[in-house]
Amino acid sequence: MEEKLQKLKQELEASLKAATKEADILNIKSKYVGKKSEISHLLSSLKDMSIENKKKYGSLINDTKKNMEELINSRTEELENKSNITFDDTLDFEVKAGSLHPVTIMAKNITDALKRMGFTVVSGPEMESEYYNFEALNVPKDHPARDMQDTYFLDNGMLLRTQTSDNQIHAMENYGAPLRICAPGRVFRNEDLDANHENTFHQIEGMVIDKKITIENLLYVMQNLLREIFNEDVKVRLRPGFFPFTEPSYEMDMSCLICGGKGCPTCKNSGWIEMVGSGMVHPDVLRAGGINPEEYTGFAFGFGLTRLAMMKYKINDIRVLNSGDIRYLSKFNIE
Amino acid sequence: MLISCNKLKSHIKNPEDIDWLNIWDTFTLRTAEVEKVEKKGDSFDNVVVAEIKECTTHPDSDHLHVLKVDVGEDELIQVVCGAPNVRVGLKTAYVRVGGHIAKTEIKSRPLRGILSNGMCCSGQELGISDNHDGILELPPTWINGKDIKEYLPIEDIVVEIDNKSLTNRPDLWGHYGIAREICAITDHELLPLALLPINNDKENLDIVIKDDNLCYRYTGLKISNIKNNQTPLDMQIFLYYVGMRSISLLVDLTNYLMMELGEPMHAFDARVVKNIEVGLAREGDTFTTLDGIKRTLSQDTLMIKNGSEYFGIAGIMGGLDSEILPDTTSVFIESACFNAAQIRKSAIKLGLRTEASARYEKSLDPNMTDLAIKRLAYLLQKENPDMVISSNLTDVYPHVLKEEDIILDKKTLAIYMGKKLEDTLVTNILEKLGFKVEVKNDYYLVTVPTYRATKDIKIKEDLIEEIARIYGLENFTPAPLKLDLTIAEHETIYNEEYEVKHLLATKYDMHEVNSYIWYDTDLLKSLNIEKKNVSVLGKEANNILRDDLSFSLLNIVRENFKNYAKFDLFEIGTIIKNNENKRVLSIILTDNELNLANVYNRAKDIVKYIFKVLKHQDVSFQNNENEYPYYDNDLGKIIFLDNLKIGTLNVFTKSITNKISKKKCIVTIDIDFDKYITISKPAIISQEISKYPVVELDYTIITNNQKYAYIKEVLSTFSSKLIQNYKLIEVYENKYSIRYTLGSYTKTLDQKDIQTFQERFISHIKNHNLNIIE
Repeated sequence: MEEKLQKLKQELEASLKAATKEADILNIKSKYVGKKSEISHLLSSLKDMSIENKKKYGSLINDTKKNMEELINSRTEELENKSNITFDDTLDFEVKAGSLHPVTIMAKNITDALKRMGFTVVSGPEMESEYYNFEALNVPKDHPARDMQDTYFLDNGMLLRTQTSDNQIHAMENYGAPLRICAPGRVFRNEDLDANHENTFHQIEGMVIDKKITIENLLYVMQNLLREIFNEDVKVRLRPGFFPFTEPSYEMDMSCLICGGKGCPTCKNSGWIEMVGSGMVHPDVLRAGGINPEEYTGFAFGFGLTRLAMMKYKINDIRVLNSGDIRYLSKFNIE
Repeated sequence: MLISCNKLKSHIKNPEDIDWLNIWDTFTLRTAEVEKVEKKGDSFDNVVVAEIKECTTHPDSDHLHVLKVDVGEDELIQVVCGAPNVRVGLKTAYVRVGGHIAKTEIKSRPLRGILSNGMCCSGQELGISDNHDGILELPPTWINGKDIKEYLPIEDIVVEIDNKSLTNRPDLWGHYGIAREICAITDHELLPLALLPINNDKENLDIVIKDDNLCYRYTGLKISNIKNNQTPLDMQIFLYYVGMRSISLLVDLTNYLMMELGEPMHAFDARVVKNIEVGLAREGDTFTTLDGIKRTLSQDTLMIKNGSEYFGIAGIMGGLDSEILPDTTSVFIESACFNAAQIRKSAIKLGLRTEASARYEKSLDPNMTDLAIKRLAYLLQKENPDMVISSNLTDVYPHVLKEEDIILDKKTLAIYMGKKLEDTLVTNILEKLGFKVEVKNDYYLVTVPTYRATKDIKIKEDLIEEIARIYGLENFTPAPLKLDLTIAEHETIYNEEYEVKHLLATKYDMHEVNSYIWYDTDLLKSLNIEKKNVSVLGKEANNILRDDLSFSLLNIVRENFKNYAKFDLFEIGTIIKNNENKRVLSIILTDNELNLANVYNRAKDIVKYIFKVLKHQDVSFQNNENEYPYYDNDLGKIIFLDNLKIGTLNVFTKSITNKISKKKCIVTIDIDFDKYITISKPAIISQEISKYPVVELDYTIITNNQKYAYIKEVLSTFSSKLIQNYKLIEVYENKYSIRYTLGSYTKTLDQKDIQTFQERFISHIKNHNLNIIE
């Protein structure tokens, strides 16, 4: 009997293994565990057996049948799970991906860092009045920056702003003190184009006004901002500068990332790149913004987003940035 | 600007305890950017004084000489030399065998068969002048065999300072000012300048200033009986190191003073000077400057006139007629001060920027003019002990610039610095820089020297800058802002722009571009489109500002078609329309012309998606009245948000498109971003979902040449309580499949409900001149 049961089970296993369709399984099921199957016969023949044999074989036959049914079920499930759709699962197409302009990515990085220091982001107009671009910023009438050679004046009496610093005045007028703003934007200078010069580029402006703002605050924000942007320990140095709208004024240099500070054409062999113009807000500028300089002090800074993007992404020709050439731009996937 | 450390040392007491090679990093941090530090005089060695004892012509050469020179040794040395100025008795510079010039070793070698042991050399060969006319001529008193470095200031450190970082520091355009700065940085003492006192017991010169707004001061002096016009070698080397050519003593002295004090001066041959007048030129007159170039003057060029003749362009360059000649023995020295903006404008207009104009542009101190003349006279007298001062020091100075006081309160200083500074520290810094300081209880009374007052120091904050920079920025401790957590007002524009850009780049795989604010003139020409808008003055091409962002991007589209068959791009940028700045989002979709319908519908989907996802609102499209001729008349749409016109969707006409690239289509979306940011998102209110199942019914409606817009209208007039929503799901030719979702909040729909709906709907459709597949 044991042998017989063992043989049945082996036969079943073999035919299940050969089965590939659900129909095969149904046939097998009816053949091996169905009403007319041999095991069913064996079960029904139990009643004619001696009590001793009933005891001996009853559970054995039943267990075998259960076991066979489990085998069938598990094979059924196996076949069900097996997808009947066949395809080449090794295909490898190029992924299509859009891109953001490098300057946009750079502006986002910087505004994110500044937002963490409590700055809000504002913006100003590209076509600007002389008042906001120069006068209110304490740039005297005979200052070289106000020459046609440097500034694009328009036939409607306006100009294309030469710096994002116009945002200082707009922000003070709109929000008053205290104030903590940054303003990325596009600016224009009358320049001949070459690999290092553009007439249209991006800057970001920042301004903080509050009671008792110190030079130490300015230093903190500047140093930490550059570290945030470059995610590496860039060396920075601050030296005296001159801007009409700040007093004292500082230039911030950053160690050249192209050559690592050894000297190269990008940094004019000095190892340093002029990165940020900054300083304590000139009292005349505070006054122009309607803020009392005896009550409030502040600092402001501005730097070239375009320049930063070039440094960060090692772009060696500035003209690429306004070319709209997808061959270059498509590399700048969203960070 | 080039600075010689030897010269600086001559103005400072105990200069030897300054590290002259390494002070410049500190100088960059305290004062102005140093671009280069160069050691001079280490390119040669073993160059000694040698006296020519014998001089014979070389038998095999028409210009070489064979010399026997005395270099302080027992025997004379034979040298072959090609210089024309060789003669017996001349003392010159001689490089010993084994010595170096220009870092090359000098060996004994035959020249045309005669052995030359060493070499006599010119100033140029030694790198101490640009003179290569002959070998150096040294004073007869110098001892043969002595290293010439013991006599001449050849070993020097020359420093290049970035001119741009000196624009607001007229006082630093000479060595004396730089020396003063070094004294403040290193706490040293600045030595006074030696001057020649001039007794005004002679005649005044005839000097007139016509316009005292343009010329602040004119000081003149005549000196005669000048017999020696030979510049001493040490001065020649100094001038050479700082980038000037040595010409003659009189000319060199004016340059020397410019390099020392920063005061440009001019020496005229006194023989031609009559009466001096400073005034404007006549429009169109010509004048030949010292460099021999004839220049056309304009009515705003300030001139120095001599009698009725032009004599020099004020502050820029003298004239050819009055230059110092070899036989000049008496000079008229000019030391003047002009309006900075006037000089700058004239220099730009004439295209002639000189060392003098560069300095005048910075607003020089008018109180320097007489000082400079007395200093020049002192130096000239050293070389010409018999010279005669032949006029009064004549000084026309209508409005004397006086020293002003500034009150610097200690409270403000402490706020800026973030700390309180000791009185002695503040006083020492300011006094070293030339300020006078009186310490009071709450403030300092600071007197500003006029050499700092013309441009730089006007208010107390300017003084704070002086204190902060000499104190040393590295001595500040960066301090974070103390955060005030009051919620700040803010503008959403930056975030909203970024949100849209991010969506277009990530969901639609588009590329963001940046372009110019003006139209490309070549593009307009090639498309034969004329644009009128605000334009840039003085710019001949690319001068008309754009009033249509998508159109201005055609340039970029054209370039990209060279590399791609199709592409999608976008920009958020400024256009100028009706004299106003406007912010616009432009999306450009391109493809093969056969795919126009696809691209067009995709454009609509993109617009709908932007507003649905970012503004929770539905837009609608309406036919556009044609604003620009280059857009297709029939396909243009206005994008509406309720009744607000928010943008346009357009297709470039076939003829424009063909000029950009053949067989393409270009679809554009322009969204008014100024309006976009004013749209607030409606609040989302949660809706209950029915407990009962819904039924979906698909109908295929067949049109007779009507568009979907007509079907939509027909569908909108059919109402039933059962309708939860309906949508277009498929279009094939003139067959439109519409899917209705029916349901009820109170029961499961039965066959009868659906039957009634079907019948009503079908008859509604048929009543509106449409067919339906039942």
